Amino acid sequence: MNDMRILERDVETQTAKMTARGVQVYYGDNHALKDVDIDILQNTVTAFIGPSGCGKSTFLRCLNRMNDTVASARVLGQILLEGEDIYDKRVDPVTLRARVGMVFQKPNPFPKSIYDNVAYGPKIHGLTRSKADLDEVVETALKKAALWNEVKDRLSAPGTGLSGGQQQRLCIARAIATSPEVLLMDEPCSALDPIATAQVEELIDELRSQFSVVIVTHSMQQAARVSQRTAFFHLGNLVEFGETGQIFTNPRDPRTESYITGRIG
Amino acid sequence: MTDATHPIAARGSLLVLDPRTKARKAAETRFRLYGAAAIAISILALVVLLTSVLGNGLGAFRQTFVTLPITLTEKTLDKSGTRDPEVMKKVTTIGYSKLIDTALTEALAAKGLSTEGLSKKELSGLLSQEAAATLRNQVLADPTLVGQTVEVKLLANGRVDGFFKGRVTLESAARDSNISPAQLELAQKMREAGLIGLGFNMAFLTGADASELRPEAAGLGVAILGSAYMMLIVLVLSLPIGVATSIYLEEMAPKNRWTDLIEVNIANLAAVPSIVYGILALALFINFMGLPQSAPIVGGLVLTLMTLPTIIIATRAALKAVPPSIRDAALGVGASRNQAIFHHVLPLAMPGILTGTILGLARALGESAPLLLIGMVAFVKDFPSAPPEGLMQPATALPVQVYQWTQRSDPAFVERASGAIIVLMVFLLIMNAVAIILRRRFERRW
Repeated sequence: MNDMRILERDVETQTAKMTARGVQVYYGDNHALKDVDIDILQNTVTAFIGPSGCGKSTFLRCLNRMNDTVASARVLGQILLEGEDIYDKRVDPVTLRARVGMVFQKPNPFPKSIYDNVAYGPKIHGLTRSKADLDEVVETALKKAALWNEVKDRLSAPGTGLSGGQQQRLCIARAIATSPEVLLMDEPCSALDPIATAQVEELIDELRSQFSVVIVTHSMQQAARVSQRTAFFHLGNLVEFGETGQIFTNPRDPRTESYITGRIG
Repeated sequence: MTDATHPIAARGSLLVLDPRTKARKAAETRFRLYGAAAIAISILALVVLLTSVLGNGLGAFRQTFVTLPITLTEKTLDKSGTRDPEVMKKVTTIGYSKLIDTALTEALAAKGLSTEGLSKKELSGLLSQEAAATLRNQVLADPTLVGQTVEVKLLANGRVDGFFKGRVTLESAARDSNISPAQLELAQKMREAGLIGLGFNMAFLTGADASELRPEAAGLGVAILGSAYMMLIVLVLSLPIGVATSIYLEEMAPKNRWTDLIEVNIANLAAVPSIVYGILALALFINFMGLPQSAPIVGGLVLTLMTLPTIIIATRAALKAVPPSIRDAALGVGASRNQAIFHHVLPLAMPGILTGTILGLARALGESAPLLLIGMVAFVKDFPSAPPEGLMQPATALPVQVYQWTQRSDPAFVERASGAIIVLMVFLLIMNAVAIILRRRFERRW
């Protein structure tokens, strides 16, 4: 990807996959996220940038209700996935997470075989009928994650034995094996070297054709390279949200400008 | 001193140690020596313990036997000639001891050994008081033996046994009302003639306890069985309860004042003296619930109560040690909390859980104080039957058997008690080895 061309990069669709309106998050008494409105568009990579502790990861974890595991967290406001409120009482987070997959900051493959890592999601959700179907799902997921050629001969080898970059791509394969509609990535490259980072970034761009991707990143270059839309968070507020080209070349808010030019953060 | 304002003193040569560095180095050397000394002391203590226990106790696994050809006359043992064990039970051990006495006299005469100066009572005193019972049981088990002459291996008296093991000498026998030097001299000759020999003592592991007067017949069978029953109960109850408690507290329970309180109490329970559990068991299981005294079920229940905190603490530590990223990964692909726990967290915590459980069991196996209070210190001669009925019948336990034998006056029981300690230690070693093997096995899977 050539980040020189970000101005020309258009968002191809305007259909919103997920809509957040007035989202507030409290950790106990700490007001971590204040009144956030964001639309996650279909087939688009949306990047969340901002200094540490600005609430971008918190917001990401709201999108598939991973904050439910934090006892002190309270989420207010409304987040819709295709028009349905994901915080509705009738929603089981388990089915939500099958549709909104997640890749974490540190590669965290299960201490099982490569095959079992990828097959786990489809298995627990009962997505496949036969072993052959499951094999196919695993193969497709690994191919999409650009890992198939490297591991096809050792699918029964432990996933933890792979290199860092391979492990992260395995985690991506695991996340996309359940055919999610939205893929959340929490600083997926922060534990990787530049080469592995480049591979993952390339992958993100390819994944865009099938999923909406939301990526949290500390690297502004990365946001500029992979995303079509960028949201800048600061101290729990959503400061600015718009097309990546516009954010990086012509930010409207002085805080955004300070951050991307390196004066704050 | 030109640069007096500079707060850091001038440094000397690298090759010369300044006093401060020397002192630090000396402190390190001293500490290393303390450590080495501490280890040396522990090893010494272990060696002393092992030599004393092994030295005293190994003898219990060898026993002196008298081998005699005994003619089982029909006239004495089965007057009716029916060979019906029920009828033959009428003949008591007195009838059998007469046969043994005759056989002994004949065997001595056949070997040309003089019995001069020894009364009839002294002669039969060479054999254990258990001998007649051994023969009677043998005959009742196989009535067809009646009428034949069979070679029978009978226990020698405890003093004779002690003589061959070096515990009893001719000098000590002179002061002993239970044995005379003349008897021992005859025993020595009988050994040379092949009538008396030492052999492996299987009965020590399989036989029941015996009375004060016949230490040579005392065995650990009932105690081993009782301990095994109790361990079975402890394992079956404490592992599921302990693991379920830990999973709930660690993974599911809300963190509030109540769970904090429970947590503190579990930690405290692990430190409660075991005899307190004994009093609880006496009050609750025996007085209130009316379970039988001396029964493995009560012992198992009290040991379960005692082991639970240990297992819960070990399991919680093992669960805590599983990296949270694994839980996130499982939840992230849409596993339910239950699936995340049972598919990923629990298998990873398994080695720690098993080690904790087995160490808890090992502690329960060696526990005697609570068992004393629930009556397991009784003299039990009959084997409990197979579970489940056997769980309600009286039994003893290994550590209590040790305690009981050390209370008895006959010095032969010192050897028995040490032998029982060896058996107990072997079981503990096996359990620890199993813990290590299981740990390795489960860790290798990843």
